[in-house]
Amino acid sequence: MKRILAIALAIMLVAASLAGCSTGDNGTDGGSDGYEIALITDKGNIDDKSFNQGAWEGVVEFAGANDISHTYIKPEEASDAGYLAAIDLAVQGGAEVVVTPGFLFEVPIYEAQTAYPDVKFILLDGAPHTADYSVFETKDNVASIFYAEEESGFLAGYAAVMDGMTDLGFMGGMAVPAVQAFGYGFLQGAEYAADDLGLADGEVEVTYHYTGNFDENDTNKATASTMYQEGVEVIFAAGGSVGKSVMSAASEADGKVIGVDVDQRYDSETVITSATKGLAASVISVLESIYNDNWETYSGKSTYFNATNDGVGLPTEVLGEEGGDAFDRFESFDLAAYDEIFAELSAGNIELLRQIEVADATGYATADELTEALGLEKVDVTTR
Amino acid sequence: MENYIVEMLNITKEFPGIIANDNITLKLKKGEIHALLGENGAGKSTLMSVLFGLYQSEKGEIRKNGKKVTINNPNDANELGIGMVHQHFKLVEVFTVLENIILGVEPVENGLLELEESKEKIIELSEQYGLKVSPDALIEDISVGMQQRVEILKMLYKDNEILIFDEPTAVLTPQEIIELLQIMKDLAAEGKSILFITHKLNEIMDVADRCTVLRKGKYIGTVDIESTTKEELSRMMVGRDISFDVDKEDREPGDVILSIKNMTVASKTHKNNAVRDVSLDVRAGEIVCIAGIDGNGQSEFVYGLTGLEKLVSGTITLRGKDISKASIRERSASGMSHIPEDRHKHGLVLDYKLEENLILQRYWQPKFQKNHFIKFNEMRDYAEDLIERFDIRSGQGPTTMARSMSGGNQQKAIIAREIDKEHELLVAVQPTRGLDVGAIEYIHSQLVESRDAGKAVLLISLELDEVMNVSDRILVLYEGEIVGELDPEETTTQELGLYMAGAKRDTEKETRHAGE
Amino acid sequence: MQGNNNADKLKFNIKNITSHSGFKSLGAALMAIFLGLVVGFIIMLVARPENAIAGFRFVLLGGMGRLGDVLYFATPILMTGLAVGFAFKMGLFNIGASGQYTMGMFFALYVAFNWDLPGSTHWIVAIFAGFVGGMIWGFIPGIFKALLNVNEVITSIMFNYIGMYLVDMWIQNNGVMYNSSLTRTRYIASGVQIPALGIAGSNVNLGIIIAIIIAVILYIVLEKTTFGYELKATGHNKHAAEYAGMQGKRNIILTMTIAGGMAGIGGAFAILAPSAIAGSSMTYEPINIIAANGFTGIAVALLGNAHPLGTILSATFISYIQRGGTLTSLVGFKPEIIDIVVAVIIYFSAFAMIMNSAIARFIKARLGKDDEKPLQETDSENEENTVEDEEVIKKETEKEAE
Repeated sequence: MKRILAIALAIMLVAASLAGCSTGDNGTDGGSDGYEIALITDKGNIDDKSFNQGAWEGVVEFAGANDISHTYIKPEEASDAGYLAAIDLAVQGGAEVVVTPGFLFEVPIYEAQTAYPDVKFILLDGAPHTADYSVFETKDNVASIFYAEEESGFLAGYAAVMDGMTDLGFMGGMAVPAVQAFGYGFLQGAEYAADDLGLADGEVEVTYHYTGNFDENDTNKATASTMYQEGVEVIFAAGGSVGKSVMSAASEADGKVIGVDVDQRYDSETVITSATKGLAASVISVLESIYNDNWETYSGKSTYFNATNDGVGLPTEVLGEEGGDAFDRFESFDLAAYDEIFAELSAGNIELLRQIEVADATGYATADELTEALGLEKVDVTTR
Repeated sequence: MENYIVEMLNITKEFPGIIANDNITLKLKKGEIHALLGENGAGKSTLMSVLFGLYQSEKGEIRKNGKKVTINNPNDANELGIGMVHQHFKLVEVFTVLENIILGVEPVENGLLELEESKEKIIELSEQYGLKVSPDALIEDISVGMQQRVEILKMLYKDNEILIFDEPTAVLTPQEIIELLQIMKDLAAEGKSILFITHKLNEIMDVADRCTVLRKGKYIGTVDIESTTKEELSRMMVGRDISFDVDKEDREPGDVILSIKNMTVASKTHKNNAVRDVSLDVRAGEIVCIAGIDGNGQSEFVYGLTGLEKLVSGTITLRGKDISKASIRERSASGMSHIPEDRHKHGLVLDYKLEENLILQRYWQPKFQKNHFIKFNEMRDYAEDLIERFDIRSGQGPTTMARSMSGGNQQKAIIAREIDKEHELLVAVQPTRGLDVGAIEYIHSQLVESRDAGKAVLLISLELDEVMNVSDRILVLYEGEIVGELDPEETTTQELGLYMAGAKRDTEKETRHAGE
Repeated sequence: MQGNNNADKLKFNIKNITSHSGFKSLGAALMAIFLGLVVGFIIMLVARPENAIAGFRFVLLGGMGRLGDVLYFATPILMTGLAVGFAFKMGLFNIGASGQYTMGMFFALYVAFNWDLPGSTHWIVAIFAGFVGGMIWGFIPGIFKALLNVNEVITSIMFNYIGMYLVDMWIQNNGVMYNSSLTRTRYIASGVQIPALGIAGSNVNLGIIIAIIIAVILYIVLEKTTFGYELKATGHNKHAAEYAGMQGKRNIILTMTIAGGMAGIGGAFAILAPSAIAGSSMTYEPINIIAANGFTGIAVALLGNAHPLGTILSATFISYIQRGGTLTSLVGFKPEIIDIVVAVIIYFSAFAMIMNSAIARFIKARLGKDDEKPLQETDSENEENTVEDEEVIKKETEKEAE
């Protein structure tokens, strides 16, 4: 038996190499049946509950509906050159549209937009520039997409305080611009709501924290547990898998969580709402423009997805539940209240800060910096 | 036509480049103890492996009770009632005696082990044959002799009637050997047939009925023990006359080379000190032998002396220089050579070539290195020199892997290295353990030669014959203490045995120590 | 018929290789690789039957078109492979190559950002700093092992984490090095980057040349010097080494320190690699992830049989398979499947290498039954007295194992 097996394996191997030779030497024989839309993942995996996953879901939804071949590629190396190599590979594999989620692709796309003028690039959360930031240029074959995270965070903070909560927590991942914007928006939303409710100065307390990673781990969970023990009612978890740690701490401490990026109500009972940005929706919009000859809409410039074009917000629908109440986990805050503030926001009546000056190298703002720059009065921030 | 239980007829087994068994015939009668004698490499083990199904012979046949059988593997052998006690036991250390014995034939009831019945059978067997064991003891806790009894019980438990013992006495103490030989006699008396592989002539003379002798893969002959002598057997085995007495002339010892005062060494295995307050002197030109039964502190004594273990207290002086706290390298450089007890553990790097092993104690000397680069030519020349002078035999000369050399030649290599190294004191620990007659004779002559060259020799031995024949002075070590000093010319083995067993000791031992 | 011919050919080859003592080690490695490839192919067949053959062809041959990249990615794992293999020669299992690698990377980065040196020497000093960083991180487990007899596996695993967290913390708190808005270090000036070899489409650089030179130097140290003699003797039999008066403790510390240094240089090579994009460079992201190259080093060392020159080949091979594996995405293999296939090939090969004697026996038993050669080389620790006796025991253990 074993002898037969050994022979069988040998034949298989020989057959494989022979078959390989017979198909000819044109290294791109995958080209004819290649993949038209390719997504390059950044440092994380395709199931990172964040940029990669959101963008990929958009690709799948659009390509699936229109029967377009699609795939994703993981770079061999997390460096500019490595990302560029992955783009090269995607193009070699027949890609006509390349989706690159995340600002880490800014430099590689700057190179690729010139190298592959016939390929269209969708760059999420970034704009192409040179490595030394001396030249910013978005060519006609690139659509650069940004999200107004501060608006999403604003809505979350507003909803929480309007619902009667006065002790809030923020747990960001690393202090990257998107996470910072979520946090700053959250504080401004809380302030705005406190103002609306006529609360006294300092009546809303916010504990503000960056975990320094995007991981699910015991340290993050312990931090969240401590915050709940100290009386925090709800934590806005804006940092990829940090949310899982927070949810697990919340279910033990009977606390509440606000999710991020995508609607996370399905991940845990503790999630009352989520500060979403329409990753999938935005990718679909841009893909539609490409295939419906509307490319000019996004081509060669940066487009902000915000409340005005429905790019960010809190979820208003429950999946698989016709007419389900997405706000059922709030005490009093409801769809009507949300619609009201959302209208204000999309009408441009509320001015929000996306960025502030931060002295520390890590990008972690101090309580004073936050209070000062965001003009907080009703909200009393402590950092940890 | 006699009644043979097993006949191996005209067995030929070849390995590339060597005929391990060349047309060998061996006939085993029922109820006899049949010794299989031969030097290392004579083909004994190969022949037994053919019988036990580990090898298939190219030519010849095996018959059991006159019927031809084929034995392709040990299971076939087992079914034919053939069992084997290997030189290195095949026991699971963390299992009990009982569990080891039933291993492979576990009695099962409703999917669960049913041990009671087996236990009874084992107790019954052990009483029947005088094999004292406690079924519930763990293998790792019992002595080597006891472990061997477990191996024997394994065979008996499986109702084997042909028992192969592969050099069973090599690992035993003298007392255990006596017990084992008695057990073998009892087994034979009960109708078991025994094949006894050995190269110890005394044991053959004691227990065997007949003996088949092999030499270099060839069949030399089968003799009745009653009608033969030790000398006859050894001539058959080696092909020449062997002298059992060590040739040595009396010599007047010279200056004190080694002086040990009140040395105490801790034990690694138990809390007490294994060597307690030992004092002794060794002079130039004498062989002092430390005799004793294994486990009375010999190993620790040597460790303390050679620097492998720190002293608890006491001093060691070598040629007037205090080396009590010196490192191993310093002691070696001061003139101490050491033939270690365990040649595989300490004496050799088995995966090094012979030539590399030959410079193990000297590679750092300017002769063999320059600026930390080894001088390979010097190493090769030196190896070739030693190989010739000490008659070290190996397949590929200096480049032979130490592992692939025979035990006797491995030991020769160590002895060559230690004797050729500049030294004043030679510490030889059980230098002949596990070796055949020819090699033993050679090693003894080397020790004597070293003595005659004016070196001090300290021999640590468990073999009574060796102690009596080789040494100029005997010190008996019992439970970590020197309990007696004897002159081999005046004492008898009986008296020595009493000292070794702790039944007798010098009352005023202080006065006995030379130099005090 | 076809099958028989193949089998005959195979049999012929195997015998040829294994009977040639010089090729024995290489033969075992090839056998191990062959088995790894077979298992990898089976997985591809299961994952995507219709494209398995095309995909497997990329795995086998894809690296040919990317030789520059093959060497580029082989550079750091060659160094971590040396780090593991060198310690292994002494019987130490340096599982801490990852932490040493990260530490070396940090030291190199520190010099790159904070020291002002002329371009021609800056990168050399930075590499040297990586060497020092790795050495420190190897030295500590060495000290623990030598003086306190703490198992080096435990300490070096823990030092993987300690090193990684420390480096992440130091980087995040250093504004000169860290760009918080990008969560990674800033770009390194081109003067500190290791000069590229100028192979188009690849970042392969002088690092690979230096790495190979280092491997050769290690080979010389191991095979020609008294230190190597002591080190290998200790690895084979530490009791005999002690008996021969070798300073085991000193050698343990020295070996771990050198091994750590090797991994540290690997980290420096990785971070100082040049970039194909002007103004760009490698960056380090302090995201609490242990460097995978440290662990790949274990496979590299195993497959290279811990031999410095063998390690050059095995690092190249592993990189070659990885590069080919990446190309299989052209025929629709998902990155996860590729990772599995590549990992299976590498680890199965490395594992098979450990088992090589057992497999050689298996192959011989199956294909060479008629001429029943006894096996020459032996790795069992039997203590028999003669060559024949040894074979008996080997044979015996084999049978009993069945």
